[in-house]
Amino acid sequence: MRMVHVLTSVVGTKCELKVKNGAVYEGVFKTYGPECDLVLDAAHRKSPEPAGGPRKEDIVESIIFKASDVVVVTFKDVDPNFARKDNFTDAAVSGRVNGEHKEKDLEPWDGGETHTSGSLESLDTDVSNGWDPNDMFKYNEEKYAVPLTSVPLERDNSEEFLKREARAAQLAEEIEASSTYKARVALENDERSEEDKYTAVMRGEREAHALSRENKYIPPGQRNREALSWGAGRQNSPRLVQSSAGPPPPRPGAHDYSPSAGADQRVVNGGPSHWPSPCPSPSSRPPSRYQSGASSLPPRAATPTRPPSRPPSRPSRPSSHSSYPSYPSSSSSSAHHGLAPPGSTLPKRMSSEGPPRMSPKSQRTPRAHRVPPCRTSAGVDFMSHNAPGEVPVTQQSRSSSSGGTWSSVVSGVHRPRSPRQNNMGGASPGPASVAAAQAGAAPMEASAPPPVASSPAAATPTPGTGAGKESRVQETRQTSPTANKENIKPLDSTPSITRAVCKGPPSMAQDHRKQIDNLKKFSVDFRLQSSSNAEPAFDQMKPGDKPKDPPLDKASALGQEGGGDEGAAAAPGSAQGPPASAGKPGSPAVSAAAAASSSPAGADQKRPGPDVTSQGVQTTSPSTFTKAEGREEKKEAVHEQVKKSTLNPNAHEFKPRFNAQPKPANTPTPPRPQGQPSPSIVVQQPPAVYSQVCFPQMYPLTPVSPGVQSPAMYHIQMPHMAVSQSKPYRPVPNMPQQRSDQHHPPGTPNMMHPVTAAAPPLVAQNPAYSAQYFTCSPQQFASQPLVQQMPHYQAQAQHVFNPVMQGSARMMAPPTHGQPGMVSSSTTQYAEQTHTMYGRSTPPPNDNSLCWAMSPGPMPQQYPHPNATLHPHPQHPQPSATPTGQGPQGGQHGGPPSHQAASPVQHSQHQQAAALHMANQAPQQQMYSPLAPSNPAMNQGPNPQSPQATFPTGQQTLYLHPQQVPHGYNPNHMAHVQQVSLSLHHPGLPVLTKSQLFAHMQSGMVQSHHGAPGHPPMMLMATQGPGGPQPQMPQNALNPIPVSSTTHFSYLAHPQVQAHHQQQL
Amino acid sequence: MAAPGPGEYFSVGSHVSCLTCLGQRLQGEVVAFDYQSKMLTLKCASSSGKANLNDVILINLAYVSDVDIINDRTETPPPLASLNVSKLANRARTEKEDKLSQAYAISAGVSVEGQQLFQTIHKTIKDCKWQEKNIIVMDDVVISPPYQVDNCKGKEGSALSHVRKIVEKHFRDVESQKSMQRSQAQQTQKDSTLSS
Repeated sequence: MRMVHVLTSVVGTKCELKVKNGAVYEGVFKTYGPECDLVLDAAHRKSPEPAGGPRKEDIVESIIFKASDVVVVTFKDVDPNFARKDNFTDAAVSGRVNGEHKEKDLEPWDGGETHTSGSLESLDTDVSNGWDPNDMFKYNEEKYAVPLTSVPLERDNSEEFLKREARAAQLAEEIEASSTYKARVALENDERSEEDKYTAVMRGEREAHALSRENKYIPPGQRNREALSWGAGRQNSPRLVQSSAGPPPPRPGAHDYSPSAGADQRVVNGGPSHWPSPCPSPSSRPPSRYQSGASSLPPRAATPTRPPSRPPSRPSRPSSHSSYPSYPSSSSSSAHHGLAPPGSTLPKRMSSEGPPRMSPKSQRTPRAHRVPPCRTSAGVDFMSHNAPGEVPVTQQSRSSSSGGTWSSVVSGVHRPRSPRQNNMGGASPGPASVAAAQAGAAPMEASAPPPVASSPAAATPTPGTGAGKESRVQETRQTSPTANKENIKPLDSTPSITRAVCKGPPSMAQDHRKQIDNLKKFSVDFRLQSSSNAEPAFDQMKPGDKPKDPPLDKASALGQEGGGDEGAAAAPGSAQGPPASAGKPGSPAVSAAAAASSSPAGADQKRPGPDVTSQGVQTTSPSTFTKAEGREEKKEAVHEQVKKSTLNPNAHEFKPRFNAQPKPANTPTPPRPQGQPSPSIVVQQPPAVYSQVCFPQMYPLTPVSPGVQSPAMYHIQMPHMAVSQSKPYRPVPNMPQQRSDQHHPPGTPNMMHPVTAAAPPLVAQNPAYSAQYFTCSPQQFASQPLVQQMPHYQAQAQHVFNPVMQGSARMMAPPTHGQPGMVSSSTTQYAEQTHTMYGRSTPPPNDNSLCWAMSPGPMPQQYPHPNATLHPHPQHPQPSATPTGQGPQGGQHGGPPSHQAASPVQHSQHQQAAALHMANQAPQQQMYSPLAPSNPAMNQGPNPQSPQATFPTGQQTLYLHPQQVPHGYNPNHMAHVQQVSLSLHHPGLPVLTKSQLFAHMQSGMVQSHHGAPGHPPMMLMATQGPGGPQPQMPQNALNPIPVSSTTHFSYLAHPQVQAHHQQQL
Repeated sequence: MAAPGPGEYFSVGSHVSCLTCLGQRLQGEVVAFDYQSKMLTLKCASSSGKANLNDVILINLAYVSDVDIINDRTETPPPLASLNVSKLANRARTEKEDKLSQAYAISAGVSVEGQQLFQTIHKTIKDCKWQEKNIIVMDDVVISPPYQVDNCKGKEGSALSHVRKIVEKHFRDVESQKSMQRSQAQQTQKDSTLSS
């Protein structure tokens, strides 16, 4: 045994073999026999004299020696380990060790108490990676006597120094302004992991949430808590920023650079105490003084050079940020952001939203935005911001007493909530939500009337509450169906008000009313579901509200400081005032929420006459503010609101969208907004419901469709979660401005990335949004860009989840939208759709299921769209060229142009008239239903003729076979398209339905497009690949005849998909 | 004597010394023993003094006398490592080829200096072969007779310079060796004279 081993191990070595007669043979040991016969290759007899090497003639090919003839064989210089296979195994390595080898003593690992209950977060959270820098310095100093070398920069006022500093700042500015820098920063700050970017696996919203938060996995048990904490934390705590932003460290520096940033930080971190100092400086000092004020903050700010250089950069940044402003609802929140707390949040958000923006520059931009408002029209901005919900409260407290406004605010907030929870509260919540909507709307109004119109109720009553409040309100509504109803009613009442305020969309009003009716129905339906979910949502909301309040207070304080304490306060008050009045009428401060909303108004009223005047001025001033600023503010506000809202994850996503939208809004917004308003109303209710569902995290979604809520539904809900997030986005779409931004390739992509990166969940939501937004038609353009980002996720999610998921997503989406006040409009749209769905479906027992099915139906459409989205970026430019909303879509799709031509009218209709949206709901349902049917079974074909009837079947099928949908997508899509066209033809469907269909289609398309830009649409592509193109073809053929709009949609989506496929190939 | 394992008269790990019929004293650690063939395998320290190498001696006990076990080892021997047979086969083939190529060179009339140089180079660079009387190193450098540094031709580069260094060192060592031998020879002569 061992002999064999040894001999084998020496094979191939040279050896000298002595035989009995004393002769020595040298050769290469070749092998051996069982009898220990040895074989030498190339052997030669070694002569006794060392005469060189053997001659050729002396060498024998091989010689076999019998064991009996062998005396000694010597193998020289053999490496015992030469042929060892396990050279690197522990045994092999240890085997070579000479002498005594002692095993290292194993020490038990003590993880401490931090990792007990399955919480792996601590590992991720532990930022300490290896040595602390200080430790390193210390170690080097002790061991190598390497002193710590950090020489403080000596600043002097010499010309030389200033010149250098200015030069440095200029260079920094140039570098940071360079596209390459931005791109790299974006790469660096892109929080998305490689897996996130390229994985084909769609993660549920839950996971998305986790991802948004530093990619931590949140155990199910802790999710609720986190959500709560999130709401609160995001707003104020730096954590939120970090989590969302990803690269917190760099940002701080950025903040330091801009005085405003510093101020923001102070507000955020310092809290009330800090406020005084920062606020005074801005308020008392004119815009120009900012720098000086800044000087007080960080040294950098103090340096003269930087301020000058930065100012230029700021403008550019604002433009990019302008997208943020676009969010109408956000505007109110943005105002807050503009103030210290918001600012802090904003930068973070910004970072989170757009990886590229994440860079200091991005941060700066936010700051810049903030700064401008504060400095120039800070008062106004603040005012507007204050107007939304919470701020008003704070203002009141302030106005009433300089003392702890916080407590009062908080209490006020809580009160409203509690009432909301209660049936009584329902009414109040309504106002609050309205207020929130108004808050968003208010800013919108200032900057762009249309936005207000979009969320009439909200806009009118209490802009101050802010989106966050709205979301809360919505949630509350959800919790208490009655409340929802009430809310809806208030909304209705408010809409009128809002209309008046907003410049309105009177035409929309009727539609809104219809929608409201539908919403009411929904609310009733939802009650069952909402009841359980709503409560959780409330809880979350509360935390969020509380945190929010402080920021608001801060913001208000800042605002006051910025534009004179009184002036700033007045401004918010003024903004609030109108809303408050409106809100009161709708639901007199019955509930705390109502009180809150009213309270702001009351506070305003309470304020001295001067305040009022100032308010008026401020209000005017906001309007005077450049749209961009207003938009920016709005955006910020929206972001803030989003953050504030328990939905936090969604909030991040929203921000980006908002950013993109703002720009578009500038151009198209005025008209579009009006149209949107009506949808917004509807949305509010639905959003509330949806938001509740969605916010709770996926699960809540189930509540949305109580009847439907079968297990399957729940599954769907998971995807819905994403959708819910998307809902917040929807609001954005409402903002026409945003659309324009989106169209802008440069800004939007970044935004998109951030969003996606920051909050994958958001992306998922986006899809829904996009769809909804699209429905909004006018908004769609703007929304598309935002949506596009989302689309990827959606598409992915959809793929994973299947069509059903998509459908659910839409449904879910509305709720999420509810959170952001701005979103409300979009959400309203969804709600409308859903409502219509429900309303129609509800009558029959199966309706719920049908509704769901309907939702799934849309999902399929979205799928195709996602594919298209991939291509969208290039296409976007085209859209801009195209006059109508379709133009953008078409542009994205590329193929759609022709469709656009026909569709434009439709789009305009959609945009202009809320009715369209209303109708859209129905159409969407129809659309969905067809889609759903197709997925489950092609048999449904006949059903399409009677859209509603078909829907039920389709829905049912969808439920049953959600998975099926994905596979069938292509064919199904085709079928769906056809069906859609059919449905349009059906008498039952109103003209609007067509438009709606278009909108839906567009939305779906848009979503897909969105997905394309930032993220690899690989998933989408794959899915599309099979059926996408083909279905399109048929659709096109069918579509032309029935309804151009529907056909367009289908075309758009399909063409895009095809294009994508080709590209990919 | 410790009890050898079944079928074994020498326990693995024991140190044994023996005297062959040819008068050669062998000593080493028992690695294996085959009872049927009476073949004993010993592992000894490398004759070249390299720590990581060993000399392996295969002894036919039939022609050995005076077997003495210096110290016995009762511990169970370490498990045998699996061997990479293909690697062994490759080694056998390359060794054979090397020897044959060397034999060809020798038969071709290559001078002893050339052969020595070849051996020296081969220690460092395995990729060298005979081409007629020329030494081809790495297919890049050609060393032609009389194999001096100046005879190294090839593409200028690290390979050529490296080979030149080897050649230069080789002849320097050879010179030193010769001088040593001379001195030793002189010493022996002196000794002889003195003794005589």
